[in-house]
Amino acid sequence: MIKILAYGILLFWLLAVVLGRLFQLDPNQIDLNAILNTPSAVYWLGNDDMGRSILARLLHGAEVSLLVAVSVTAVTMTVGVLIGLLAGFYGGRVDQVLMQVTDVFLAFPGILLAIAFAAVLGPGLLNLMIALSLTGWVSYARLTRGQTLSLRNRQHVLAALSLGASVPRLIGKHILPLLTSVLVVEAAYSLASVMMAEASLSFLGLGIQAPNASWGAMLRDGVRYMLVAPHYVLIVGLSLMSLILAINLGGDSLRDHLDVRQEAD
Amino acid sequence: MCLIQRLLIGLLMCSMLIFSACKPTTSSFAPINKASSRPEIVFAISQAPLNLDPRYASDAASERLNRLLYQSLVDFDIHTKPQPSLATWQQLSPLSYRFTLNEKRRPFYYPPGAGRKAKARKLTAYDVKATYDSITAFTDSPHSAEFSNLKNIVVFDERTVLFHLILPDRHFPAKLVLGILPAELVKIKHDFAHNPIGSGPLVLHDSHNKLRLQRLDDGQRISLIEVKDPTVRMLKLVHAEVDMIQGDLPPESLSYLQSKPTLTVKTSVGVNFSYLGLNMQDPQLKKLKVRQALAHAIDRQAIIDKVMLRHSRLGGAILPPEHYAQRQTLDAYAYDPPLARRLLQEAGVRLPLKLVYKTSTDAQRLRLATIMQAQMRVAGIDLEIRSLDWATFFAEIKQGNFQLYGLTWVGVKTPEIYGQAFASDSLPPKGFNRGRYQDAELDKLLSTADWRAVTQRIHQQLPYIPLWYEGQFAAMQKGIQNYSPKADGNWDDLATISAYAH
Repeated sequence: MIKILAYGILLFWLLAVVLGRLFQLDPNQIDLNAILNTPSAVYWLGNDDMGRSILARLLHGAEVSLLVAVSVTAVTMTVGVLIGLLAGFYGGRVDQVLMQVTDVFLAFPGILLAIAFAAVLGPGLLNLMIALSLTGWVSYARLTRGQTLSLRNRQHVLAALSLGASVPRLIGKHILPLLTSVLVVEAAYSLASVMMAEASLSFLGLGIQAPNASWGAMLRDGVRYMLVAPHYVLIVGLSLMSLILAINLGGDSLRDHLDVRQEAD
Repeated sequence: MCLIQRLLIGLLMCSMLIFSACKPTTSSFAPINKASSRPEIVFAISQAPLNLDPRYASDAASERLNRLLYQSLVDFDIHTKPQPSLATWQQLSPLSYRFTLNEKRRPFYYPPGAGRKAKARKLTAYDVKATYDSITAFTDSPHSAEFSNLKNIVVFDERTVLFHLILPDRHFPAKLVLGILPAELVKIKHDFAHNPIGSGPLVLHDSHNKLRLQRLDDGQRISLIEVKDPTVRMLKLVHAEVDMIQGDLPPESLSYLQSKPTLTVKTSVGVNFSYLGLNMQDPQLKKLKVRQALAHAIDRQAIIDKVMLRHSRLGGAILPPEHYAQRQTLDAYAYDPPLARRLLQEAGVRLPLKLVYKTSTDAQRLRLATIMQAQMRVAGIDLEIRSLDWATFFAEIKQGNFQLYGLTWVGVKTPEIYGQAFASDSLPPKGFNRGRYQDAELDKLLSTADWRAVTQRIHQQLPYIPLWYEGQFAAMQKGIQNYSPKADGNWDDLATISAYAH
């Protein structure tokens, strides 16, 4: 039941983003006569502090959130997996150096490091993605390195090595495919944490800049009018919560699905 | 551990306790004799005062509080004309002024524990000389430059002091608005920033966590607490954790506060002038037609009506129309996007004209910038908004690193501001000509001090785009009386405010 609900919410948001594009809703259309209006037949979710449609901005914000989450996850996974594979496969000095760098990044709280990078790089969508990518790769590197350390001594890897397989072939054909299920589950959780980080940075004014919509910035504006127009902050807050919850539940279900031990039970 | 060792340790601990109890702190100020049973009034403010030494204070909160802790020689009337406060004055010659202190001036209040045995004494001409001499001697005071024309100060007697100038200055008395400090404490470099000692109606009683003030006349206690977040400030007022708030709230919040039966909301017109600053060295913005296009591209009346406090009004010049040096109504630039577009084309600009607008991260400033961005788009201007934290933003403005920016002049009283803001030789750091405006004709008018002509010239040449004077408001519990917001946002009514217990 929960699994269906999670996939349902995810599907809803994906459809909403696509349909928002099709309907060509303008998230930046200002209407000074509709400031902080409650939901109506014209504006289904009401209006924000400049009379803009909350629905249009919510859909645009979802698009931005998904774009950032997918892009950052793709970049961090690629970099992290590459570093983890090299460290785990070669071991020795290479492992030591790469893992010490990883440990340095792990020692800082991720979001604080992202805030520091975003503050140095300046606000904006691209800089936000760079800041999140600079901090997000470490968990992939640690995970991949640990898995590679155990996989590299497996019989099939040793057999391929004795038959003269090259290092790229060993990694690409004999180790990486066995890591896929673990990495997919990690990526699912990472999507949720990146979306949360994007919203946090935008909330602090370090993310998407005005007039472009983002859920974090909308939440920040909504909090200002919490007592006057509670619908604004509630709609944005509930949307963010539902999407993050759905991604996490989706990740759980994916993990259960890919877990071979559970299947054996 | 033997008995002697235990005794020694016990003795050491006791002596440490005694010494720590004797250590003087700001909170050791004893209450005033007239301490009454009146309920304390708690005033929540968005930014705590940074410096209570009037010679250094430059932030709005410090200046507002210092007006209550100290007395100044001169103050301003409702038309912002200088009027006697502590002293009356007479111009003896173009280069000298005589100030005579009032007989009924207040004495200095020395709190017990402030390190002085002398009894309260009246403020004298020696204190005036010591205060202004110390300002002119400072190199790091933001007010020193204002007194660079001061040659010397001569004390004639206890009540009379003479100011001699280097060059004639008709508006010199208007500069003598800084609080007067006791001469003997100036001499020993007393820390007025944290332990202010003045002759104003209020005295600082305690500065631990919050500023606790006490009124000398009746012992009324007033606390200032800093609550940065506007929503939290509003909630504290609604839940009666604080008694009053003033300004720095989104205008929509006012109707919410007005709907609460336990609260009173008072509003008034404002005199703080908001404007769009322009970089006059920019190849596009140096064209007059481009500046006129910008002025016609903003629907200021719609912004005032919909997203600003009640009593906000259109702005024409830095000084408001009721100012004695102004007294004229300037023709407002009407919102006319087709005209703006035409002016841009006549200026040879390829549309859309791309401009970068810098502002602070303040939510209301960003909101106003976003609305102006949408309005300008219709007129063919593509405005990019860059919001920066206050320190970075202000540093970039001072360095001239901008095309457009939004700021507000706060607490401007004298027409000399036009010279400081627009004279060709007033570039930062000497003056405030941040847009690097160069106009020989305006310089000529400034030298004649013909303020009407100066204002007209500025309004015609548009080295900035005038926006509005934002209204003021204060919200308070029903039990609070004798307080109303002032046009420049000062807190002068704290000298008369009262509260009755529910």
